[in-house]
Amino acid sequence: MSQQNSDPTIYDGLMFVSLGAVIIGIVFLVLSLNGYGWSSGG
Amino acid sequence: MNNVVGKILIVLQLVFSLCFMCFAGAAYTFHEGWKNRATTAEDKLKNTNLQLTEAQTARQQLEEKLTADVKTQTERAVMAEAKVTGLETSLAQALGNLANAEQQRDKHLADLAIAQQEAQARISETTDARSENLRLNDRVVDGISVRRTLEDQVLELQGQNNEAVRREQANIEKLERLRGVLSKNNIDWEEALKGPVLPVSEKVNGVVRAARKNESRSAELVEISVGSDDGITKSMRLTIYRGAKYVCQIEVTEVYPDVAVGRVIEETRNGTIERGDNVTTKL
Repeated sequence: MSQQNSDPTIYDGLMFVSLGAVIIGIVFLVLSLNGYGWSSGG
Repeated sequence: MNNVVGKILIVLQLVFSLCFMCFAGAAYTFHEGWKNRATTAEDKLKNTNLQLTEAQTARQQLEEKLTADVKTQTERAVMAEAKVTGLETSLAQALGNLANAEQQRDKHLADLAIAQQEAQARISETTDARSENLRLNDRVVDGISVRRTLEDQVLELQGQNNEAVRREQANIEKLERLRGVLSKNNIDWEEALKGPVLPVSEKVNGVVRAARKNESRSAELVEISVGSDDGITKSMRLTIYRGAKYVCQIEVTEVYPDVAVGRVIEETRNGTIERGDNVTTKL
């Protein structure tokens, strides 16, 4: 198995940015659900 | 080739992640706005429901009040209808009474007209009766005057009657005395009456001493200066004269020895008797 030594590229950064965007979207949805009395325990 | 596909997928993942974040943020933002609006609408709904409840309560009270009023007004209407019915009955009765009253009025008017005619006739009769009454009053006044005149005449006649009675009594006494004298002289007085009357043989002269009316002023009395000593007797007629004038005759009513009183015979009077006039039994 050949060992590749590659540096992080822009696409890796974009992957983290998209991860952050998903997390922020999830937070907004949780906040919206809290407005209806939603809880994580069901 | 794999790098290209991986890169495209990463870019697509980035785009969709950003879109997801944007839609989630927009949903949260709009949700807050709509929540506030829903809360406000809910408060408004509560106030509206409260006002609706109050309005319903007020409406209920108003309905109860209106029901009571309607009931009261209905009762009043029933009573008013009863009164109206009674009043209509009374009106009908009153109209009947009015008709009867008008008939009676007409009858009374007719009676009144007849009574007025009768009153007019009575007034005419009364006027005639008053005239007759005045005429009768005049006749009564005249009758009263005549009655007073007749009463005066009656009084005068009574005085003359009394004088005649007195003279009759005197004549009776004189007759009795003459009968006694005739009896003493043995003369039948019946036979003496049949014979002629002897004249006075002796003439006696005297004078009038006084002359005045008697108490009843029905006759004049004369006092003369001769009496029974001179042969003067009661009922003797003497003649009074003054010089050559004949005055009257008197009839002796009272005789005393030296004086006598005589009553003037009015039928023979020819003048006023004065003191000092001559008296004689024969002219």
